[in-house]
Amino acid sequence: MNALLELKGVRVHGPRGIRLNNIDLTISSGERIALLGSNGAGKSSLIAVANGSLTPNRGLVLWQGHSMQNLRQGKRQAIGTLWQDLRLIEELNVAQNINAGALGSRNLLWAVANLIYPLEINACKECLQAVGLSTDLISAPIGELSGGQRQRVALARVLRQRPELILADEPLFSLDPTLIEEVLNLLLANAIISPLAIHRTLLMSMHQPDLIHNFDRVIGLRSGSIVFDHPSNELDAKALAWIYRSE
Amino acid sequence: MFPQKCRALGVTALITSIGLVACSNEARQTLNVGAIPDQNPEKLNRLYKLLSSELNRELNVPIRYKPVTNYAAAVSAFRTGSLDLVWFGGLTGVQARLQKPGAQVLAQRDFDANFHSVFIANKASRLGQIKNINGLKILQGKRFTFGSESSTSGRLMPQYFLYQAGVELNDFAGQHPGFSGSHDATIALVQSNSFEAGALNEKVWISAIKNGRADPKKVKVIWRSPPYADYHWLAQPNLDHRFGSGFTLRLQNALLNLNNQSSSQRKILALFGASRFIPASIDQYSKIEKVGRELGKIQ
Amino acid sequence: MNRLSPTPTILSLLPALALIPVIGVVVTNVHDGGRLLLVEFVGAALQPSLDPVVVQSAWHGLQITVATALFSWAISSFLGILLGLASASVVWQTCVGQSWPAIVIRRFLAIPRAIHELLWGLLLLQILGLSPWVAILAIIIPYTALVARVVSDQLDTQDRRALIALQQSGSKPFPVLITALGPKMGPVLISYIGYRLECALRGATLLGVFGMGGLGIDIQLAFRSLDFQELWTPLWMLAGVMFSLEQILSWFRSHLRSSKNAIKQMIITVALMIILTLISVPWLNAVDIDLSESVSWNAFPWPTVAELKIAFNTLPWIQLVSSTIMVTLLAAGIAIGIPPMGMMLWPSRVGIGVQSYIWALLRLIPTPISALLLLLFSQTSLAVAALALGAHNLGVMGRLLKEGLDEQSNSGWQSLRASGSGTQTAWLYGCFSGQSPSYLAYAAYRTDVILRETVVVGWVGGTGLGWQLIESLGSFNWAQVALLTIVFATLTLIGETLSDQCRQHWLGPSKVRPMILDLQS
Repeated sequence: MNALLELKGVRVHGPRGIRLNNIDLTISSGERIALLGSNGAGKSSLIAVANGSLTPNRGLVLWQGHSMQNLRQGKRQAIGTLWQDLRLIEELNVAQNINAGALGSRNLLWAVANLIYPLEINACKECLQAVGLSTDLISAPIGELSGGQRQRVALARVLRQRPELILADEPLFSLDPTLIEEVLNLLLANAIISPLAIHRTLLMSMHQPDLIHNFDRVIGLRSGSIVFDHPSNELDAKALAWIYRSE
Repeated sequence: MFPQKCRALGVTALITSIGLVACSNEARQTLNVGAIPDQNPEKLNRLYKLLSSELNRELNVPIRYKPVTNYAAAVSAFRTGSLDLVWFGGLTGVQARLQKPGAQVLAQRDFDANFHSVFIANKASRLGQIKNINGLKILQGKRFTFGSESSTSGRLMPQYFLYQAGVELNDFAGQHPGFSGSHDATIALVQSNSFEAGALNEKVWISAIKNGRADPKKVKVIWRSPPYADYHWLAQPNLDHRFGSGFTLRLQNALLNLNNQSSSQRKILALFGASRFIPASIDQYSKIEKVGRELGKIQ
Repeated sequence: MNRLSPTPTILSLLPALALIPVIGVVVTNVHDGGRLLLVEFVGAALQPSLDPVVVQSAWHGLQITVATALFSWAISSFLGILLGLASASVVWQTCVGQSWPAIVIRRFLAIPRAIHELLWGLLLLQILGLSPWVAILAIIIPYTALVARVVSDQLDTQDRRALIALQQSGSKPFPVLITALGPKMGPVLISYIGYRLECALRGATLLGVFGMGGLGIDIQLAFRSLDFQELWTPLWMLAGVMFSLEQILSWFRSHLRSSKNAIKQMIITVALMIILTLISVPWLNAVDIDLSESVSWNAFPWPTVAELKIAFNTLPWIQLVSSTIMVTLLAAGIAIGIPPMGMMLWPSRVGIGVQSYIWALLRLIPTPISALLLLLFSQTSLAVAALALGAHNLGVMGRLLKEGLDEQSNSGWQSLRASGSGTQTAWLYGCFSGQSPSYLAYAAYRTDVILRETVVVGWVGGTGLGWQLIESLGSFNWAQVALLTIVFATLTLIGETLSDQCRQHWLGPSKVRPMILDLQS
């Protein structure tokens, strides 16, 4: 297995102290990793460092051996992020939002044209179907969707991007139990073999230890440091209690 | 082939340049007239067509009236040559002439050689008649207003006379005088007692008394200034060159010959409040120039 | 921490305190000597002159003014958007990863904004002679800079999360910017640019005095001889145009809102702008204004260093600057504080209706005229100048506030009313508190405008930079004009920096998301 993403000695300072401290982490192609930790443990920071939107104060972030900071903009398309706050563009409709994922390989003219009239509808529909949504929603405004639908549209946008690595920041947050299962299955299914036939890797932060049997590997964060990192079947209750215990 | 191309190019260039010259001649042949409307301003502005058509008939050149009501703008427009003939006030005329050496003073109204300002006062102010210029001292410490800042009769000469009497601008109440913006506004503000006294164009005062805008029960004249030369027609120095030799003279005569015989000419003269125009000369305005320099209105 | 932290709500109400000293001064000097003239003024409003000559002249002037406004509005909006993009931090940050060029361009653009249109007109006249372009450029230059500031402020206060998300996904800068910010900017821009047309109309009215003609000349000359009946004829025409414009714009906005697609709206707007520009040129031709008329280039009478030194030494700078700042602050206090105060004290439907008519009237009557009317009842003072200047801008601020409130949902008000609070407190907490951050943002822009407009009321007090500028222009003392212009620009820059920092300090960097409507009268 070859290393996709490597974090070496990464340290991030926040306004209220250190957010990430000396993180060493290697993510290999095809892995499905669960990221656990209490609120404020540094999960979102880790994901932001991993996708390049946050530059660490110290340490190295390598994507396929190249420094993330100097990575060509187009190469970033290989890293898809499902943000906790989704970051959909409220003013646009579903198809236009999904198309926003493809901007990395399109030019300005295409971007403008998409704003006037959604382009490449079939590709959008394919992504919608992949996340289990009806294609009838293709021209619905984002504002009219339910919480679960929005979550899936955001995922569809990530799929449209055709990334090799999906970073999902608490995608199960605020979903009801049936939706949790559905969204998790979607992510996992797309993580192994996507309908678009790309071999994918998944790093996902979450708060549901009971679901980690679905993953290959589990990482625990506490106060900005990795406290455990091993195959998911080796996780024990003591380690879990440690990361969720208040100081 | 090559010389032919050259010739074609030459011919094209020639045609174009002739066209350009023709165009620019066309543009130059319009006589642009402007005015600083000071008395009956709105009527003067609207009825300028009358004067334009009269001059057009006399001179046989197209006349175009350009409304420029801002004093500084009118002077600048004369400097840049955008206006050929302008009805200026005393001060603005001198400013324009100094910025455009060689400009010709053509004519003034029959009374412009001996123009007067009047100082008026609200009756409640208890300001009495002023016998001689030194009497202006009683205005010290009073609320006093001029008209427009570039007006000869509403600001420059009154300020000069005050200065001669030893009254400086910061001697008034509030350390500075007001500037009402126009002669009519000066009357209104003094009459309302917002200002105790003010100075303005005598002609405007007389017509305000006549049409009832000034109420003799509330406001009175306390002093009539010595005479000075005011409004005049000023023409660009190069009119003969542009419109043919002798044009400036013809223009001057056209103005001087306006009389009360024909109804349109009578209307024009009535608007200017004059019975006729008379010749004017540069030296009549040397005093204005001197005063202007003294008071910093001429650089 | 128990640090005093003023909320935007209270910050917007505080300026009304300026009214206390102003009213104090005005009331102690009040007299009723101007009653007759005021009666005449009001009476003339009901009986404007219908003399065919007057009406014809005003009608002709109206066409010139409207066509000029359309033409310069379209061009300044277009250029303003481009410059706005160039001076937005988010654009530079996204494209090159640095934001300082945006700050540099932004500060540089403060100069054209600091100079009043009238002064621009006079300066351009020195170079171009009497050309229709003088008035047009005198509108375009400052308005472009104004639009640019608003556009860049808008861009920089947008939520950037979606932008970062798209950027992270590997897209190029321009597609990211247009996709993430374009849809949000659309409605804001359309609404703002619509208001600019109204401002351009006022600007074109003012600038007709540079040989182009127009409604402004009729207004100015009738005012000069205090012929109120003839004054009201062009004033009512202007009011008619303004009113219909307002109706058309609000119809246009509500029509656009239903279409949902912001980019489509923008394209329709741009198409309309192009059509209007194309109409305005032949229209100007039809009223005898020839834009292709050759322009005579003239050398600008630059002052020498020695003249500048003399000018620097002769003018009483401290007194000029302090009285200008005083008038600006008092007028800004009145303009900013009174509309929310008035609406809070009288928040019923009738009350707000009455107030909006008053605001409309205050906007309609040009500042010099209201200054004269005030002066007729009070002795001249700084306070009168501030009141006259403040009154006009109060009309603009009131309208902005009302439109902002109309756009906002009234759920806050309803819930407060349901919990038993009074109308006035419910208005304050439920309605106004939602609008106050953006209202404060306008207030900062307005203060800029007021500083510039001190030129217009300078004559009332006979003091201040504005008055000195008029006087220096009338004396063709270009050295003084140059220095005064620099001082105006410096004051504008300082004011801008201060208001930016106050906003950041009190409201935080991202909390202000003004939906900009109007900046300039």
